[in-house]
Amino acid sequence: MKVAVIGIGKMGMLHAGIMNGLQDVELCAISDNSKFLLGFAKSIKGIPGYDDYQKMLDKEKPDAAVLATPIFLHVPMATECVNRDIPFFLEKPLSLRSGEADALVQQVEQKNLTSMVGYMMRYVETFAKAKEIIDSGVLGKLITFNSSIYVAQLFKTGKGWRYSKAEAGGGVVMAQATHLIDLLKWYFGEVNSVSAHTKSFYSEEVEDFAHAHFEFSSGISGWLDSSWSVRHHRLLEVTININAENGNLSVSDDEVRFFLDKAAGDYPAGWTQFRIPELFKGVEIDLGGPQYTKQDVDFLNAVREGRTVGTDIKNAQYIQKLVDAIYDSAEQNGQPVRM
Amino acid sequence: MIDKILLGHNQFFGVNHLSAQGGNERAAYFSETGRIMDMIHFSYDLGVKAMMMSTHERALLISEELQKDAKLKNDYGVYLLVPYAAKYIRQANEKGLVNIVKDALAGTSLQDKLGMFWRGGVGLLRKDVSKLITAMVDFEVAPFAPLNLRAIFLHDVMTDLILGWDVPEVFAIYARHIEDKYGAIPAFCSKNMPRLVDALERVGIENPFIMASINKIGYQVNPSLEAFENCLRTKNVRLLAMSTLAAGFIKPQEAYDYLYSLPNVASTVVGVSKKNHAEETFGIINKHTEGANGKATKAGLTEAVGV
Repeated sequence: MKVAVIGIGKMGMLHAGIMNGLQDVELCAISDNSKFLLGFAKSIKGIPGYDDYQKMLDKEKPDAAVLATPIFLHVPMATECVNRDIPFFLEKPLSLRSGEADALVQQVEQKNLTSMVGYMMRYVETFAKAKEIIDSGVLGKLITFNSSIYVAQLFKTGKGWRYSKAEAGGGVVMAQATHLIDLLKWYFGEVNSVSAHTKSFYSEEVEDFAHAHFEFSSGISGWLDSSWSVRHHRLLEVTININAENGNLSVSDDEVRFFLDKAAGDYPAGWTQFRIPELFKGVEIDLGGPQYTKQDVDFLNAVREGRTVGTDIKNAQYIQKLVDAIYDSAEQNGQPVRM
Repeated sequence: MIDKILLGHNQFFGVNHLSAQGGNERAAYFSETGRIMDMIHFSYDLGVKAMMMSTHERALLISEELQKDAKLKNDYGVYLLVPYAAKYIRQANEKGLVNIVKDALAGTSLQDKLGMFWRGGVGLLRKDVSKLITAMVDFEVAPFAPLNLRAIFLHDVMTDLILGWDVPEVFAIYARHIEDKYGAIPAFCSKNMPRLVDALERVGIENPFIMASINKIGYQVNPSLEAFENCLRTKNVRLLAMSTLAAGFIKPQEAYDYLYSLPNVASTVVGVSKKNHAEETFGIINKHTEGANGKATKAGLTEAVGV
C-alpha cells in the first residue's frame, strides 16, 4: 500500500514514520512548502518530494494520503483528494468553521470514500475502556459530568499559525478541547444545546481558556474546562468524571475507575479500577504512543476494506458544529446556542 | 564500563508514567536542587555511582552541582539522553521544525554553508547531512560535555522516528560521532527494541547498548513481550532496562526477579524519590548482580546501611 504525506511538520513526520514502519505499507512521497525539508528527506531516504501536492497526487497515485497541514488548508486539500478518489487521513480539527466543510462531507459520502480525522484519544486504552463500561449500561442512567483538558504550553504570546485566528480558526478550543469534545460526543451522543465563555490572556487573537456547558439529547449534562496556559501539566491531560444512577466513573490518561452501588454486569459493587499498565497492548511500531499506531492501523485497514470509521469526516464536522456553538455562545456572553 | 545501576532522573523533573498528579507532586519536592543532590549522594553511598540525565533545562543545574562537588566530580558517571524531546515538541508548535534547526546552528560554521539549502532548490550532499546531524548533537551535548559521560543515548522520539522512516544510516552517523568526539558509548533509547536491533545490524552496529522498557506485564514493551524476550535471547545486545516496575504496578522483588531471569541485561535505571525505597531497590538488584558486579557494591551497601 502506497501512502503519501502532505505537510512534514511534527504530526506529518509522525504519521509518515508510523505508516512507513507498518508491514505492507510504504511511504511513497512527501509534500511540503519547505524545500529544505524536501531536500533533507531526498538526501537521506531518496524519497520524492513535491512542493506542489496536487502534482504529487497526480503523479504518485497513492492508495491513501495523510494531510497534516495548518487548519485553513484542510478542506481545500481534502477536496483535491476526494476529486481523485484518494482516501485521506486528516489531522484534527477539520476546518475553521463547520460550514466550510459542507460540500466536502457531502462528496465523501456520495463517493463512499474512507476518511479519518485524527481524534486519537479514542485509541488511548483508558478512554476506550471507559467507553466500553459506559456502553455496558452498568452505571445506570447518566446524570451529570465534568471534564477538563489542560496543558502547560503557553505563558507568553505564541508564534506561528496555531495562534493566528485566520489560520487556526481559534485557540485552545480548536487545538485541544476538540479532543475532549470528541470523547464526550463518543460517550454521550448528540448535543441539544451549548453555552460557553472564553478568555484570552497570553494570546492576542485567540482564546487561552474556555469553559463550556453541554446538554445532551440522552439527558446527561455537564461542563468542560480547557486551557493550554495551566501550570504543572507537562503533558496534555484529560479527565472526565461522570455521576450516574448506579454510581460514578472517572477516567483520565492514567486510569479508569468507577464505583457501583449495586453489582451490575461483570462488575461487583464498590470500586473497580483499571490502570494504564494493565490495559497496555504492544503495537507493531510505537512512535509517540501506541494510540497513534492503533489509529493509523484502523485507518489503513478501513481503506483496504473500503469501510468507514467512527472518527470519519462526518463526525469531525459535528465536532466543528459544537466548536462553532462554543464560539457563538461565548460572543453572546454565554447565551445557550441550540444545536 | 557500564554501571550496573543508574539513578533515574524522571522523578526529579515531574515525569511519572503512572500518574500525572504524582509526577507534579514529586517535581514540587525536587524543585530545590539541593534535594536532588541529597538523593544523588545517598545513592552514591549505597554504591550507585552513575545517573541518567536528560538535557532538560533543570538538568543544567545538576550538571553544575556535579562539577563543583569534590566527592562526585571525578568518578560520578553520567549517561546522557539527547535531545530533550518535550522542549522541541513545544518549540515545533510555535516556530516549526526548520526554524528549530536554524536556531540550533546559529553561530556555527554550518549556518552560512547551509544558507542555500534553507532557500531550497539544491539537494543536500550526504556529507552535509552528516554534518547537520552531528551539529545538532553537539548543540545538545555541549553544556554537559565536562561531565564524565559514559554513554550518550539518542532519545526514543528520535530513535523511533528514524526507525519508522527506515533511515538507519543516521544511527551510524550518530554512533561514529559519539565515539570520536566524546569517547562515550553511543547508545539508543527505543520503544521498539527488536526492530532497532535489526536496523542497527544492517548498518554494522553490533552488540548495541539500548535503553528500553521491560517488565513482566509487558507495559510499554513493543511489539510484544514475547518478541522482546526472544530478541534478548537470540541477539547480541546490552540492555539498559527501564520501566522495570511498570510505573509502580509491580513490586520491586517480583520485578527484578523477572528482569534478571532474562539474558543480556547490562544495567537498570532506577527512579527513586524516597531513601527507604532506594535502599530496598538497590539491595534487591545487588543480590541479583553480585557475581557480576564484584564486592565493591556490596561493601558500599553494607557500610551505608550501617550508618
